[in-house]
Amino acid sequence: MYRTLLGIVGCLVGALFLVGMTFSASVEEEADFRFINSTEPKNLDPHLATGEPEGRILFNIFEGLMRLDAKTLRPIGGVAKSYELSEDETRYTFHLRDNARWTDGHPVTAHDFVYSWKRILDPEIAGQYAYILHGIVDARAFNTFGAHVKALRGEIREALTKLIAKSPGGASAREWQALLADTGAHSALEQAKDTVLTKRLSQRQGRLSRAELEDSLQRVLEQAKQLERAYREARQHLGKDRGIYAPDDHTFIVELEAPLPYFLEITTFYPTMPVPRWVVEAPGNANDWFLPEKIVSNGPFVFKSWKVNDRIRLQKSLSYWARDETRSNTIDVFPIENVTTALNMYLTGQVDWLLKAYPEDLGQRLQERKDFYAVPAMIVYFYRLNCSRPPFNDKRVREAINLAIDRTVITRDVLGRGELPAYLIVPPGMPGYEPPRSSVRFDVERARQLLAEAGHPDGKGLPEIGILYNTHEAHKKIAEVVADQLSRHLNIKASAYNQEWQSYLSTVRDGNYDMARAAWIGDYRDPNTFLDMWITNGGNNETGFASPDYDLLVRAAGNVPGYLERREAILEAVADRAAISQLLEASSGADSPERRQARSKLRLALLGEAERILVNDEFPIVPIYFYVNSGLLSPKVKGLYPMLELPDGTKAPNLQAHHPLYAVERQR
Amino acid sequence: MSDATAKATARAVLPAPVGRSVGSAAWRRLKKNRLAMLGGVVLVLITLACFVTPLLLGLDPTSTNPAERHLPPSAAHWLGTDALGRDYAARVLIGGQTSLLVGISATFASVLVGVMFGAISGYFGGRTDEVMMRFVDFFYGIPYMFLVILIMLMFSETARGDPLPVFLALGLVQWLTMARVIRGQVLALRHREFVLAARVLGASHLRIVTYHILPNVLGVVLVYATLTVPTVIILESFLSFLGLGVKLSWGQLVAEGVGVVNPVESYWWLLFWPSVLLALTLFSLNFLGDGLRDALDPKTRH
Amino acid sequence: MALRSLGLIAVAALLVLVLARSIGLVEAIALVGGAGATAGTAWLPIRVVRVLAPILLGALLFGLTRATLTVPGAACLGALAVAVGIAKASPPVLRRIMFIIPSLGLLIFVTTLLMYHAPGNPFAGERIATPQVEAALRVQYGVPESALDFFQIYIRRLLLEGSFGPSLKVQGRMVGELLEPAFPVSIALGLLALVIACVLGLALGIRAGLRPNSVSDYASMALAMVGLSLPNFVIGAALIIVFALYLGWLPVAGWGGYQHILMPAFTLGLPYAAYIARLARSGTIETMQQDFIRTARAKGLSETAVVLRHALKGAILPVVSFLGPAAAGIMTGSFVVETLFSVPGMGQWFVKGAINRDYSVVLGTAIIYSALVTTFNLVVDLAYVWLEPRARSEL
Repeated sequence: MYRTLLGIVGCLVGALFLVGMTFSASVEEEADFRFINSTEPKNLDPHLATGEPEGRILFNIFEGLMRLDAKTLRPIGGVAKSYELSEDETRYTFHLRDNARWTDGHPVTAHDFVYSWKRILDPEIAGQYAYILHGIVDARAFNTFGAHVKALRGEIREALTKLIAKSPGGASAREWQALLADTGAHSALEQAKDTVLTKRLSQRQGRLSRAELEDSLQRVLEQAKQLERAYREARQHLGKDRGIYAPDDHTFIVELEAPLPYFLEITTFYPTMPVPRWVVEAPGNANDWFLPEKIVSNGPFVFKSWKVNDRIRLQKSLSYWARDETRSNTIDVFPIENVTTALNMYLTGQVDWLLKAYPEDLGQRLQERKDFYAVPAMIVYFYRLNCSRPPFNDKRVREAINLAIDRTVITRDVLGRGELPAYLIVPPGMPGYEPPRSSVRFDVERARQLLAEAGHPDGKGLPEIGILYNTHEAHKKIAEVVADQLSRHLNIKASAYNQEWQSYLSTVRDGNYDMARAAWIGDYRDPNTFLDMWITNGGNNETGFASPDYDLLVRAAGNVPGYLERREAILEAVADRAAISQLLEASSGADSPERRQARSKLRLALLGEAERILVNDEFPIVPIYFYVNSGLLSPKVKGLYPMLELPDGTKAPNLQAHHPLYAVERQR
Repeated sequence: MSDATAKATARAVLPAPVGRSVGSAAWRRLKKNRLAMLGGVVLVLITLACFVTPLLLGLDPTSTNPAERHLPPSAAHWLGTDALGRDYAARVLIGGQTSLLVGISATFASVLVGVMFGAISGYFGGRTDEVMMRFVDFFYGIPYMFLVILIMLMFSETARGDPLPVFLALGLVQWLTMARVIRGQVLALRHREFVLAARVLGASHLRIVTYHILPNVLGVVLVYATLTVPTVIILESFLSFLGLGVKLSWGQLVAEGVGVVNPVESYWWLLFWPSVLLALTLFSLNFLGDGLRDALDPKTRH
Repeated sequence: MALRSLGLIAVAALLVLVLARSIGLVEAIALVGGAGATAGTAWLPIRVVRVLAPILLGALLFGLTRATLTVPGAACLGALAVAVGIAKASPPVLRRIMFIIPSLGLLIFVTTLLMYHAPGNPFAGERIATPQVEAALRVQYGVPESALDFFQIYIRRLLLEGSFGPSLKVQGRMVGELLEPAFPVSIALGLLALVIACVLGLALGIRAGLRPNSVSDYASMALAMVGLSLPNFVIGAALIIVFALYLGWLPVAGWGGYQHILMPAFTLGLPYAAYIARLARSGTIETMQQDFIRTARAKGLSETAVVLRHALKGAILPVVSFLGPAAAGIMTGSFVVETLFSVPGMGQWFVKGAINRDYSVVLGTAIIYSALVTTFNLVVDLAYVWLEPRARSEL
């Protein structure tokens, strides 16, 4: 009968009706400005976020003491309308403006900053960027000493006691080092001024007698006591009358341990932005106070909506003190991960700005376009070498690898956007920094020689080398080229393999790799951000590379006045003794402008010496190239500056790819 | 789906069970089906091309030469080069080896498990059948791609692009259909006279299953196997698209080719060649499968 | 009888031993035991099923709707379901329902096991998390080290609070919150794809079946072949090239207006249109050869009436029974299509969740999809019986 027909038609109509109903026909009005963020942001709490995609949003919804001028990327007044710097350059006094407001009407006060900076330094919060404020008096103690004391008095004491108990005749240096590595003693004792102890910490040969072990235990406990005292004091004073404090609602004072030339830049960086205490601490808000329904912020834009996997919408804030400077009303941020889709969306006019993410191979064709830009960036692409196991525990093999790769093939043929082959670790453009000479170059002869010296003539006896990279088209290509080059030039077996992000992170952390791809973005314009990660057992080291000389130089650079007395140790660790010695001389003595200048020169020189160790002696990593920040920007867009326009009329590359969006507008 | 729908589907797409000496008659019918024979020939040609040509010509799919990337087909590179300057002909042919191997081995695995399962379930009937079919129902209810993806992730650290976990995972999910179908067949068969006769004569269950039942389902198995290989190959391409597949296969190449579709630069050969080969292979398999099915049961022909 | 039971026990023990090598003994026993129990629902006497199934159904409805209808409202709905179930539902349907719930539980367990045994830890971050921080995070999210513990916590939370728990990767959001907007997107996409598949497939298939061996028949079937011989994302790429990049009529990706759903739905539905066309065609051919068609023609009915009144059913039946697997296949295809077109649906959530080790999201999507497909299968089976009452006994 017609039953069947009725059934079919009925079902189809019903289904279409359902489609229409369930179809969220939330057709939104087109935003004023649209761009593509490479991925969905994870955590928009400024004190807990760590990635670039998060940063791009945070920079526009919150504001710190200073903010970055869009054209010149120099720090200009943000919440603070002015500041004073003391003679010895260690004390900043910020004067906050009266009309800085939160989106719920409360005024932004100096107390908000005290609360916020203490919050990120709070060891319970475990903010991953807390270290950026360690230059402040009492900050490091407040942030890390509590955990150190616990470790020293707990795990480390136990382990040492056990070692002493079972070694009546003393222990080998190897056991000692193993104990230190397992318990994380190096990081717990990094601030130790006890020279006997620190010397022992770097002892790798020979034996330690029982007496020495027991003495070390005592010194460790003494250290713990000192740290505890410093910790208590920090807790007492930080935020009240030392380090950071607010004498009144509109004055905020910061005391540094030593002058930091990049400190003002740090105050523009999102970990130092204020958060509203009454929202963050409201019951039930612990994990989601920053969601659009709850958030209260103080920046040029308001966090309007967040449709995960679809888009994030920002809207111009009407309570922002400089709202007249904000040009766009709405901004849409799309988290598109697929680079070809992103490119297609740009080319068909769905978005106005495509940064970084587009198919590599099209680089050359796209470079011919007028709307394409490519600017050097403070990012280095490299491979970690696993220094804790064969074959890369032999530094000759590591050097051989470094010499056997032709980086120009990669930058010219695989990438082709103007990337620079990297023979150093610190990218160019660091003000005042002179990079050391580097032994890294393309020299197959020498590489083969080194391999032979290491006991592997013509590649014999070397196990197959696995080159790990996290799943991504570009990394795959480069890894495959590198594998091919190594196989050909050194007559060894090398092959590339991938894991997705989570597995890759675990593998690298656990040291289950031979060679692993990595990249590092500088957080501020100073070589320190590329060098302080390589200290022994540094959290982001992950290679097993451990050099006491290196550690010393990096730490000394971090606190020049504090390390001036370790002349001999420093001079022993550097190559250019004459120059360093001179600088050490010039830096000692009473405080004066000349002293300070010498000290800052010494700081950069020490960092240069540290880098020298990495690229001339030890080769724990294989730098490949320095990134270029490139993208496509629609000609209809004004107010975005891939090339900065400096006040003196010159242009400079926007190394950090910071693009404050308040000045952006699109002509329809 | 329930028994009803399973049986209905079986009736709609399967031949009726036949006696043993069907082979030659079916073969004759198959030969007359020109489309199916064409499919068979193409299949053989492609297999030969994939397995023999690379050896003969010494093709190398892995040596990179970024200076020669993205070249259109030419005398030097018959099918062009890929993003790293690798010879595309080599990659397509050797990729074909993997795809075909994965397809066949996964299908083989699923046939093995499916036939055993279905035969036992259909033959013993009753509670055993119910229990086993519940298992199958349960697995049908699981969106199997979930399991496949999760299984692939489980192996991602150790596998490094190995085909083994892939075909295990894919084989694992295909046996269900086979089991269902075989069970339906066996259920119908076991009431036939020759089976009852065998039982009366005292033959053991094992003997009956091996000598009487299985040969009769062979045809169905063949048909379904031929139709499962394309499904597996396509599923593998899905995995490659999501980043979880084998290192080098048609699916991988096609996924890469799709990934570079943009209006600026068309690298048509990247998508074209593996798609053509893939489509040809699957076409042939499908036609062959259809032909086999028609050959085994003339009633569904027109 | 005894022999068979022994056989079953032997098989079960063997399975446990094999599994225990990779997932641990306790978990292996739990898995095999759970699977056995689920299968064992087939053995329950009909009287028990009559009562138990409606109660379970009521409890399920209660749990699902308590969030939206508040507790008393949901309780009423649940009670209503129980009453209806006891009074009207037929035993086979009830047995099916009996089966669904434990199998969902088993699904959750299997998925949990698979996730726990995949390498990678949801709490690994780019910069190191200390063991204390990780331990604290585990407590906070309810993700202990052992799979069994996690399973208990998850089930308890699911049944008592009706919640899928917090997402492990998307800060501060509950899985339910995240999947809520994605659910209608996937439903809309999947349904439209199914509709397209049915309409195109039936039209093509029936027409080809009515004129077998003609040019149009071969053409249609060749077209259908293409749909079956290429992965759906290749077809999708072709559509993108033509309609988005070349003609500019439709957007490349994203979601937001009617123009965004067209290409994804077509991409998803075309392979199934091909399948359906073939099924419809063979069904039509078979039906048209039947005696009653000749009778109808002899009676003087016009060809159209013959087709519409009599042949249609024969053409539709195999298609209806295929709808179940088609829905499951469309769901699978949606992972790829949603990724290709950046559609914010559940498929993307599952893929991203699996890749990011977000256990809660993976489980949430798995449960929802499972429930959808199972329900759809049940509905399809009922529809089949409605169309062909003679098949009732086989339900």
